[in-house]
Amino acid sequence: MMMNALDFLSHAFVQKALIAGSFIAVLCSTLGVFLVLRRLSLIGDGLAHVTFGSIAVGLFFKSSPVYVAVPIVMLSSLGILKLIEKARLYGDAAIGIVSSLGIAAGVLMASIAGGFNVDLFSYLFGNILSISIEEVIASIVLSIILITVILLFYQELLSVTFDEESAKASGVNTERINSILVLLTALTVVLAMKMVGIMLVSALLIIPSVTALQMARSFKSTMFIAAIAGVLSVVLGICISFVADLPTGATIVLLNILFFVCAFIYKTLR
Amino acid sequence: MPVEVISVDGLSFQYNAVDVLADISFDLSEGGYMGLVGPNGSGKTTLIKLLLGFQKPTKGAVKLFGYDPAGFQDWYKIGYLPQKIVSFNPNFPATVKEIVALGLISRKKLPKRSRRADKLAVGHAMELMDISDIKNELIGELSGGQQQRALIAKAIVSEPELLILDEPTTAIDPETREKFFSLLKELNEQKKVTIIIITHDTGTIGKYASKLLYLDKKIIFYGSFEAFCVSREMSDYFGEYSQHLICHRHDVINQ
Amino acid sequence: MMENIFKARNILNFLLILALFFTLISCQKKEEPSTGQKKLNIVATLFPLYDFTRNIVGDKAQVTLLLPPGVEPHSFEPKPGDMLRINNADLFIYTGKYMEPWVEGILKGLDSKKLVIVDTSRGIALNEEKEDEKGHDDKHGHGKIDPHMWLDLSNAQKITDNILAGLVQKDAGNSDYYTKNAEAYKAKLREMDAKYRDALSTCKRHTFIHGGHFAFGYLANRYNIRYIAAYHGSPDAEPTPRRLIELKNKMKQYDIKYIYFEELILPRVSEVISRETGAVMLKLHGAHNVSKEDMDKGITFLAVMEENLKNLKVGLECQ
Repeated sequence: MMMNALDFLSHAFVQKALIAGSFIAVLCSTLGVFLVLRRLSLIGDGLAHVTFGSIAVGLFFKSSPVYVAVPIVMLSSLGILKLIEKARLYGDAAIGIVSSLGIAAGVLMASIAGGFNVDLFSYLFGNILSISIEEVIASIVLSIILITVILLFYQELLSVTFDEESAKASGVNTERINSILVLLTALTVVLAMKMVGIMLVSALLIIPSVTALQMARSFKSTMFIAAIAGVLSVVLGICISFVADLPTGATIVLLNILFFVCAFIYKTLR
Repeated sequence: MPVEVISVDGLSFQYNAVDVLADISFDLSEGGYMGLVGPNGSGKTTLIKLLLGFQKPTKGAVKLFGYDPAGFQDWYKIGYLPQKIVSFNPNFPATVKEIVALGLISRKKLPKRSRRADKLAVGHAMELMDISDIKNELIGELSGGQQQRALIAKAIVSEPELLILDEPTTAIDPETREKFFSLLKELNEQKKVTIIIITHDTGTIGKYASKLLYLDKKIIFYGSFEAFCVSREMSDYFGEYSQHLICHRHDVINQ
Repeated sequence: MMENIFKARNILNFLLILALFFTLISCQKKEEPSTGQKKLNIVATLFPLYDFTRNIVGDKAQVTLLLPPGVEPHSFEPKPGDMLRINNADLFIYTGKYMEPWVEGILKGLDSKKLVIVDTSRGIALNEEKEDEKGHDDKHGHGKIDPHMWLDLSNAQKITDNILAGLVQKDAGNSDYYTKNAEAYKAKLREMDAKYRDALSTCKRHTFIHGGHFAFGYLANRYNIRYIAAYHGSPDAEPTPRRLIELKNKMKQYDIKYIYFEELILPRVSEVISRETGAVMLKLHGAHNVSKEDMDKGITFLAVMEENLKNLKVGLECQ
């Protein structure tokens, strides 16, 4: 069994999955804490649908779908903010609108184009086992950016997440902080969707932070627990899927849910 | 001539074509202690929002330390306790200590590292509000009174020059309330902190504040508590009996 | 202040209408070329059926492919517009209940008196998705029926016969014409079959590895070559980590220098294997459906199989 483990780790796709997967997990779970507390948990799912639509737009105009997707998804994330602010919607409704628009646009583009050369839905399913070296680098770079932002703007982020009006009275530029938060989420969703697919992105954005909230004793510890839960689910998920010969993505999601259940039981028993 | 801390001139505010505030004008100088009172829905909280720049007036002007609130930069001068946290999540995972520390944001420049002085300030503010023993508890798990004390601590931790507290004592027991008002008196008299307290309990605030502003969409009365008790306008407004009740209630309690 | 609210409501309304508009439009069926009285209106589900039918009917019928180009069929679900198209057709040709499990369901909903339905898998022996491996513990798709029968060229001829039978039933008047064309087409299929047999009989390697879903069982079976696919089910499924390692090991074991990827999806699995083993990627087209580009260029089933043979010869290192 030990020999098996060493052999397992010697494969490049396993190493890349472990490294990039962990960075994606850190990205998603730390962002997820802010998103879940702001009632924006489904923004990952919503932006993933917008990504789907933008990929269709990219394919329609015969350009690289990922490069087209990034600006469109970033604009959509800002659009969600504007809907919440100006149309006085709650986060879930605003996300729902933008999400439906994304899917509908994608289907419409596909219909107008009369079909594409690659199945559009193929873009929704990433595979954590088929990550390229460029994607590994991108995930590391984006993680560094996110960690830097969180370190620089930690108090502001906490303040805005806690109460936007008080934050404004403390001189925090709440519009800027909100924009930074959703733009980072947009970038994370596009990258993560390409690398691990929509199922894992949504799960990693929501479940680790919800798990952390069960056990939190401070905001700082919440963020750490979320990150650890995310990374642990990915690393253990990859290993367990190897041992038990299961599809990796689904194993990671199930592990996340298992952690949540354990955290919930722990909280109830206390 | 020294700049007024608050200066309001001909302020009006409409929401959905309804008049919320009409033609408000008043000044508040440094060291002033104002009770902003009036019935529910009279526009007190809206006035505060306009003062802080959260809303824009339909007509008229507001000046905060001489500046338009929209372009205001010196937020460290202001400590604010909102009436209720808009979407307060009872499971918000921050400790009292972490929340009180948020009051210091306005004083910091990048990089905003937490220094020893900050920790001391937070500790001091918590002591003043008698919440040191619960500093590591989660804010969501506290009683209403404890939460309110924590948020007040957050408002005073940066040693602001202007304190705006919206209904700060609704959930606090009378004993703590006394301590709280003593603290405010100290801040006001010794450190010349300007204070605005919004409350619907006119009788209590009358005891402490130097000025009372009775608001009901318009300014019904602006003056001292003594003047309030003999004011013709106030008698007309809600009847002599009520006026008498408000003005003499605290005498009854003191006996 | 008034204008602000007004504007925000307007924007919201506009967005909602836009979303509704997009959704409605995407539900519209495409413009159908008008069918004259004489011409039959035929709907086929899969590309090979579409192509075989085209060859048989010539210009005496209008054949349309139900799948939009570029769409992968294993997870295809018919929309209301598709149901309408089928109901209005004279002939509906589908692969079989294992390829299109949704057909059983909609058959009850169809109320056309004139519609003739052709199940092209009639009379064709279907295999299970079994890997031709001795001692290999077949956990994958044990007992699962492999629906990709058209990739065995003898089955393709039987499919052609089934389509012909349906056409004759519907349009007896042109039965001679159809029969002539069908025979001619079957001859071409036989020719291609012979080409395959010759080409693949003298190869250095006897195994080909496919980084896609299990689709070439029938083809491999016919020419006696070993076929290993990364996973079963639909092209969008994922192989497990162990499976990937297994594939890499097999490539080493059989000294294979080529990895095949399939049509219409992003070739993620093949890319990983190619990156880590240095294998060259070659396309093996399962002919389920074709890309828009290929459709526009007028691709045919035989052309696809020709290209497949070329790539197989390279990968199996044949003469």
